[in-house]
Amino acid sequence: MPRLIRLAAAAALACASPALADPHPDASRVLSLGGAVTEIVHALGQQDRLVGRDTTSSFPPEVLALPDVGYVRALSSEGVLSVQPDLILSEEGAGPPETIALLQEAGIPFETIPEGHDAEGLARKVEAVAEALGVPDAAGPVIEEIRADLARVEQANAGGGQKKRVLFILSLQGGRVMAGGEGSGADAIIRLAGAENAVSGFQGYKPMTDEAVTAAAPDVILMMQRGDAQADSDHNASLAELAAMPALAVTPAVRDGAVVTMDGLLLLGFGPRTGAAALELHDAIYGAGS
Amino acid sequence: MSVCARDLRLRLGRAPILHGVDLTAQAGRLTAIIGPNGSGKTSLMRVLTGELAPHAGEALLNGAPIARQRPEMLARRRAVLPQQSALSFPFTVAEIVRIGLHSLAAGEAERGALIRAALAQVGLPGHAGRLYQELSGGEQQRVQLARALVQVWHPVGEDGPCWLFLDEPVSSLDIAHQLAVMRLAEDYARRGGGVIAVMHDLNLTAMFADHVLLMKDGRARAEGSPAEVMTDRLLSEAYGCELRVSHTPREGVWLLPQGARLAG
Amino acid sequence: MVAVDAPRDRPEGDRLEGDRRHVGRVLCLLLVLLLALVAILSLGHGASGVSAPRVLADWLAGRQIAPTDRIVLVDIRLPRLLTGILVGAGLAVSGAVMQGLFRNPLADPGLLGVSAGASLGAISGIVLGGMLPAAILSFTGWHLVPLAAFGGGWLAMLLLYGISTRRGRTSVATMLLAGIALAAMIGALSGLIVYYANDSQLRDLTFWGLGSLAGASWTKILAAGPLIAAALLAAPFLARGLNGLALGEAAAAHVGIRVQRVKAVAILTAAAATGASVAISGGIGFVGIVVPHLLRLLTGPDHRWLLVNSALLGASVLVCADMVSRTVIAPAELPIGIITAMIGGPFFMWVLLSNRRVIDL
Repeated sequence: MPRLIRLAAAAALACASPALADPHPDASRVLSLGGAVTEIVHALGQQDRLVGRDTTSSFPPEVLALPDVGYVRALSSEGVLSVQPDLILSEEGAGPPETIALLQEAGIPFETIPEGHDAEGLARKVEAVAEALGVPDAAGPVIEEIRADLARVEQANAGGGQKKRVLFILSLQGGRVMAGGEGSGADAIIRLAGAENAVSGFQGYKPMTDEAVTAAAPDVILMMQRGDAQADSDHNASLAELAAMPALAVTPAVRDGAVVTMDGLLLLGFGPRTGAAALELHDAIYGAGS
Repeated sequence: MSVCARDLRLRLGRAPILHGVDLTAQAGRLTAIIGPNGSGKTSLMRVLTGELAPHAGEALLNGAPIARQRPEMLARRRAVLPQQSALSFPFTVAEIVRIGLHSLAAGEAERGALIRAALAQVGLPGHAGRLYQELSGGEQQRVQLARALVQVWHPVGEDGPCWLFLDEPVSSLDIAHQLAVMRLAEDYARRGGGVIAVMHDLNLTAMFADHVLLMKDGRARAEGSPAEVMTDRLLSEAYGCELRVSHTPREGVWLLPQGARLAG
Repeated sequence: MVAVDAPRDRPEGDRLEGDRRHVGRVLCLLLVLLLALVAILSLGHGASGVSAPRVLADWLAGRQIAPTDRIVLVDIRLPRLLTGILVGAGLAVSGAVMQGLFRNPLADPGLLGVSAGASLGAISGIVLGGMLPAAILSFTGWHLVPLAAFGGGWLAMLLLYGISTRRGRTSVATMLLAGIALAAMIGALSGLIVYYANDSQLRDLTFWGLGSLAGASWTKILAAGPLIAAALLAAPFLARGLNGLALGEAAAAHVGIRVQRVKAVAILTAAAATGASVAISGGIGFVGIVVPHLLRLLTGPDHRWLLVNSALLGASVLVCADMVSRTVIAPAELPIGIITAMIGGPFFMWVLLSNRRVIDL
């Protein structure tokens, strides 16, 4: 089912290229579905038009005050209608399709924002949101900022030298390494930060066997921060946990204590902060000022 | 009218159970099937009631092959009291007996009356509202008998006699109820119905049976009146232990294993 | 010897002790009222605060109705209510029928392989659906997952039925054991497909497993309604057959019940109703076990009222659970399977503990 929507979305994009979304400058009750979309609305300075959000929208913190219509892939039609939106901005894959069809029948404009994990894709996302909200000019500065951050990463890497190999570990549940493979968000942010994903050969997040982890020999291990823990203590706890696992203990990353922990939403949100996130990750991997 | 077995052969899986059994049970009589454990009594009964299809041979009820009678019609001509029954849900006694009326065309008032009468006849008149599973084993057996009775309440139906098949009907009853149930069966036969009972108790068999089939190793060893079949020689040979038949002063026959001692 | 030649001597209405059908009849009436009440409540409540009585009054008075109000009532709440009734009734009746067939109060249609097959179908639809040729996709549209779930459930049941039927006789015991083996194989296959799922598909799978009536639509009602209705219509025929089966298959055959026919109808209708329910609402647990069990405690195991009452109570329970599901954290909604399990689990435990006497028998 989600694939279907994606196909439909792709087809719509192909037909109606440069205009990414219909403009709705008068929309004053906007429902934003998707963490990145909500962040972009804020970055564009349009937060006052928001009347609702989905569960994944949790940044900036003030959006938490908005009513939550549930998980973006399992929306309830009446729940959505109850916030009386006159425009819905959604990331790809909103559902179930019956609900989306009903919302369209109810005559509420529904704009799907294309997914994108690289510089171009991020720019398209911001442009799409800005166009949908009828403020196309506001997109420029936001995109500029993202590009500037990414340019600094590239600049820092321009000196050449070996790219570091980074292993993203989503979880260590039960001593099993759940790693980010090709096509995952982690893979994308690692590339943006000018490093290389230490694992390949599988798609998305998958459990890895111990031997493959050892063979991957990552220079750096990247993990998400847990809760509100102080960065330092979180880092130390993660390192201790990793060192306790024989397969990981022998990797260069753990040997050198090269473990990076970052806020999950910042790291994998792919919104306006992604440029900054890539820069922060780059600095953490290669050391600030390198 | 009769229930007949003609050269019945039965296999369960690969094991042969019946090797060509013949039997003729007349309506109006109580026919007992006796024999040691594993001799094929219950299997024969299961073929005669239509539960198992014989591998060869034929079973007839009132002249028609059992296999070709429609289930509802067969149910109106014969009822079966199984050796044991397990119940899965807490039904009341009345609900259990009512199941016996499944194939009967009768009004609600008649059904209620039949259930009451059958329960009275098996000596459980006040038990209609009790939960079946709370009764003793003997009481449960009598409830099952009542269920069989309502199914063929009138010994002679529109198209011939009705039949009661009883598989060890007195196995968990005390002596008084054993006699009561056997008298009930005898009475059913006297009124024109047919009764075929698998019996373990040779004394009761001798007291009540009109006709006896003695089985051994899946074969009929002897068939005839009790006097013909229940002889020292035939019984001792069939059961594999020495038995002697001695007659009590009154009518009826008592059998005692050789050397057994009676208390007192 | 008591001859029953004059049964009319007994006054009409002289009720036989131990006959609990009048209790079932009274309960049936109460359950119809309960369902009506719950249905009215359900139509009147929702996240949007649209007032059903006001809209109805406007409509009757010939005043204009806001399009949103019409959509909320006619396209959202009404289909959901009907779906809830259909699914609840279907699951509860299927549960009661399966318990009668397997002679076990804990049996459910899951033993027929329906649930496992349906879940494999749904998983395949969610994860592999995108690989199908475009022609098929455009034909099935959004209904790919429900169709796959129904097909999967039905296929698994037919397979199991085929395996356990020899020479025209279905062995319930074989079915039980083969069902366990089949569930294990299907589980492995599902696991394999889940492994290849991406993150959003995994979220979809999780939500599917928790069940929801959120996808209710008139199309689904028209598709699943007849299948569930068939199970409800077969109930009266099945009732006496299942009563007989409580005494065992042999005894049931002796009283003239066509045992094989009862088994086949029970299996086919329960599988159809469950398959349709699971297809349109995902995995909703507990209704099929708790509802018949509760009714058996009230009116006894006689299936003549048990099946009808199960349908009514099952419908009420599910409509209530759905009402909680869509209002408790509105505007978001909680998957309904969480609610049936959260309320059903402890309630079932309480019923079991307070009725040990009957259950331990």
